[in-house]
Amino acid sequence: MNEDMTRAELLRRGAAGAAALSVPALLAACGGSGGSGGGASTEELKKVLNFANWPYYIDTPQTLKAAGIHKPTTLQQFETKTGIKVNYYEEVNDNPGYFAKVQGRLSKGQGIGRDILVSTDNDRFLGEYISNKWAQKLDKTLIPNIKNLIPAQQHPPFDPNRDYSLPWASGMDGIGWNEKETDPVTSVKQLFEDPKLKGRVGVWNSMGDTLGLVILENGDDPAKVTDAVFNRAIARLQKAVSSGQIRKFYGNDYGPVLAKGDLAATMAWSGDIANLADPHLHWAVPTHGGIIWTDNMIIPLGGSVPTASTYMNFMYDPVISAQWALGANYISSVKDVKQAAVKLDPKAATNDLTFPTDKTLSQMHQNDPAMLTNPDYNKKWLAVQGQ
Amino acid sequence: MTTAAETLARPARVGFASRAWRFVARHSLTVYALLAVAYLMLPIAIVILFSFNHPTGRFNYVWHKFTFDNWIHWNSVLGIQSALEKSLEIALLATFVATALGTLIALAIVRHRFVGRGATNVVVFLPMSTPEIVMGSSLLALFLNEQNTIQLGFWTIFIAHVMFIISFVVVTVKARLIGFDRHLEEAAMDLGANEWTTFQKVTLPLLAPAIIAAALLGFALSIDDFVITYLNAGPVQTFPIFVWGVARVAVPPQVNVVASAIFLVAIGLGLANVVWQYRAAKSTRGGT
Amino acid sequence: MGSFLHRHRSLTPYLLLAPGMLWLAIFFLVPMVFLGYQSLQSGLFPHFQFTWEFSNFSSALSGYHTQLVRSFVYAGIATLACLVLAYPLAYWIAFRAGPWRNLFLLFIVAPFFVTYLVRTLAWLNILADQGPVVRVLRDVHVLGPDGRLLATTFAVVAGITYNFFPFMALPLYVSLEQIDPRLLEASKDLYASSTQSFLRVTVPHSMPGIVAGTLLTFIPAAGDFINAALLGTPNQAMIGNVIQAKFLESLDYPTAASLSFILMGTIMVMLLI
Repeated sequence: MNEDMTRAELLRRGAAGAAALSVPALLAACGGSGGSGGGASTEELKKVLNFANWPYYIDTPQTLKAAGIHKPTTLQQFETKTGIKVNYYEEVNDNPGYFAKVQGRLSKGQGIGRDILVSTDNDRFLGEYISNKWAQKLDKTLIPNIKNLIPAQQHPPFDPNRDYSLPWASGMDGIGWNEKETDPVTSVKQLFEDPKLKGRVGVWNSMGDTLGLVILENGDDPAKVTDAVFNRAIARLQKAVSSGQIRKFYGNDYGPVLAKGDLAATMAWSGDIANLADPHLHWAVPTHGGIIWTDNMIIPLGGSVPTASTYMNFMYDPVISAQWALGANYISSVKDVKQAAVKLDPKAATNDLTFPTDKTLSQMHQNDPAMLTNPDYNKKWLAVQGQ
Repeated sequence: MTTAAETLARPARVGFASRAWRFVARHSLTVYALLAVAYLMLPIAIVILFSFNHPTGRFNYVWHKFTFDNWIHWNSVLGIQSALEKSLEIALLATFVATALGTLIALAIVRHRFVGRGATNVVVFLPMSTPEIVMGSSLLALFLNEQNTIQLGFWTIFIAHVMFIISFVVVTVKARLIGFDRHLEEAAMDLGANEWTTFQKVTLPLLAPAIIAAALLGFALSIDDFVITYLNAGPVQTFPIFVWGVARVAVPPQVNVVASAIFLVAIGLGLANVVWQYRAAKSTRGGT
Repeated sequence: MGSFLHRHRSLTPYLLLAPGMLWLAIFFLVPMVFLGYQSLQSGLFPHFQFTWEFSNFSSALSGYHTQLVRSFVYAGIATLACLVLAYPLAYWIAFRAGPWRNLFLLFIVAPFFVTYLVRTLAWLNILADQGPVVRVLRDVHVLGPDGRLLATTFAVVAGITYNFFPFMALPLYVSLEQIDPRLLEASKDLYASSTQSFLRVTVPHSMPGIVAGTLLTFIPAAGDFINAALLGTPNQAMIGNVIQAKFLESLDYPTAASLSFILMGTIMVMLLI
């Protein structure tokens, strides 16, 4: 509970839009069967669920084996339990790319052949899906387990009542390094200025993640990004690009490069470093703080609301979510997941990356949503990348 | 093949030094050719080699241990099998249609004088001179503007692939048609065959090697295409799109297996074709 | 069918052309018109309006001329490298390979059959900082102790060279193969040296192949973005990367469309010269 409170605080600090928080909305979200959320449709349950997700974002037989869990995967359990077959597509590789692919059909009110897709709050596109009405309302009558959603995630600015979205996973932005190539790298300053790292430093190609960390390093607040704050961060990054300190802007693909040693240190997501399972790789929250983000499930137009809602309900069972978290190495937004996880694998108690402590969470910040949607900022961001 | 004989038959007018130089030149050229082929094959060899690797962690770039497991359990990676199936279906279908359409265009351009021939040549050439990213995005613009009739997916990929393969087929078949001996066709017509029969019995068989080459090229272009497919695929995943996806995290050895398998099958077919042509050449020479 | 064709001979070419040309018209030319329409729009995603916004072109050009020029420079160097590397190989296959000829042709096209991305990823491993190639180059002091191949201009140009090599080698081979060996023998009798005979007979006769190969290599190379994306850094970004980013990341379709036309237009102008 304590942990949840910390996150709630965080969210309030982070998201200006949290002001949208209202009492009825709060009741609706917590009550679970609130009228606003229950688009209680007459649609029928389908035999098949088409799920678009990021790669390596779910428990598989291999990852479960590695975690010492001898159970069928959560997908298999869902299929056995409900008789619904899941077509699981690992096709979301980056938020803008996926958005560009599907927006054409969605903008004309057409389905995209998917019942659930996953999109990140630390980017502009999740908000676009919801504000353009390209996402359908969840059928909360079919999601009683929504009561297990941690308070910190109940009222995000892009969907204050959680009418359209539910968290899939959260992760932390920090710095990863390869101990064979460098001493510990724990600050953005070191990353950008240490001459020993020249040409062997990676950053992300997504603005929120990279600039969030730079803004923190500058001593500014990523939750309130003014032009001055933004320009300071961009200038600092540009300097590191021009000097050749930064090798590349990566999507998800920095992992092998870091493990191979071409990169000595890089901005990295918590779960990725855990997933790499390489004893030489380390991850830390930067000295000036990290950024926390959440990937959210939504039901795009054309998707089957009852089928998708049934799946979401299944995933919000703490035992299922615990197994998923241990298999995928990302942070769950389900209450009591740590306790459930410890029963599956005692090591979970000390796994700070997947089940972060309050101390770790207190170092986390969230980005100003206005920064993510500003077209002028976006242009400058691409220009730094030579684009 | 005949050059050696001709060299011998030539009057020995060139001096010793010049001959020695030519000997070196000839063999250095051979050495160079082998090196060049090695350069072309190097990454492919690496891909095949690592399809037999048993990686320690998730990353498959350090040689650890030889194994057949990846080949036996090639489809144990989520989505790889359906992606490969989609790629093969699209490549076969698109190649078939594009080869037919392209061959007809080539026949028209080479065999006939008609109004608009120049324009036809330009239109055929344009797709080859347009960067993929431009073609892909313009097609997407079309599909999205079409009023709710076309769903992005299998058929839009198919349409795109046929579109960019046609030009390559035209060029390949045209090249063969230009140096084509028309006497055989004329002979067939003299013997009473009509145009259609002549085409079936004489033209088509003679064109077959060029058509096969064009189809092979088309198949390769289709199964390999990423940019245009990525933009127009909608929810469908082809093999290259699948690779792009996993490359962002870690490429499992099964990707090497599939890439190697496609390569080996294609090369196998190519080799069969080489042997077949060699034999055919031998037998016709024996016959005449 | 035969008699019909016989009666309407003048129709035959059009009948042959119709299906293929229709396909190209609908799925190549019409989309280009849509792209043109897009390039003159203004506004922000998803609310674009058609306003004859010609300034898209000038602002795109002033914003991204660096990447445009860079693309043509890289493509030019890679094309030249392809020509220099492929010519001797094509020559050898055409005149010296004998019975191995078709086998070696197969080797040339072989890279096509390994997925573009997979083979470029293989180069990533071969050229890696900790890989064997870099280690050897460091040992022989071609590279400094911290030198590297990846994430450099060299890597991008080399990647393009490798990936488009077959497009150069094949047309070269085709044109060389068509040269009558007797012509070469005769020329060797006429001219004093084989170098002269090569320059005065072989090269001119293979000119169609050189031209075709140059076009087939240069054009896709100028629009490529995968090599720069995988093997380069932001300082090697090409115009293809910009177009790709404008379409897929910033959803700035008008700029992306006008950049596409600028790229195509520049290529066309170069072709005409």
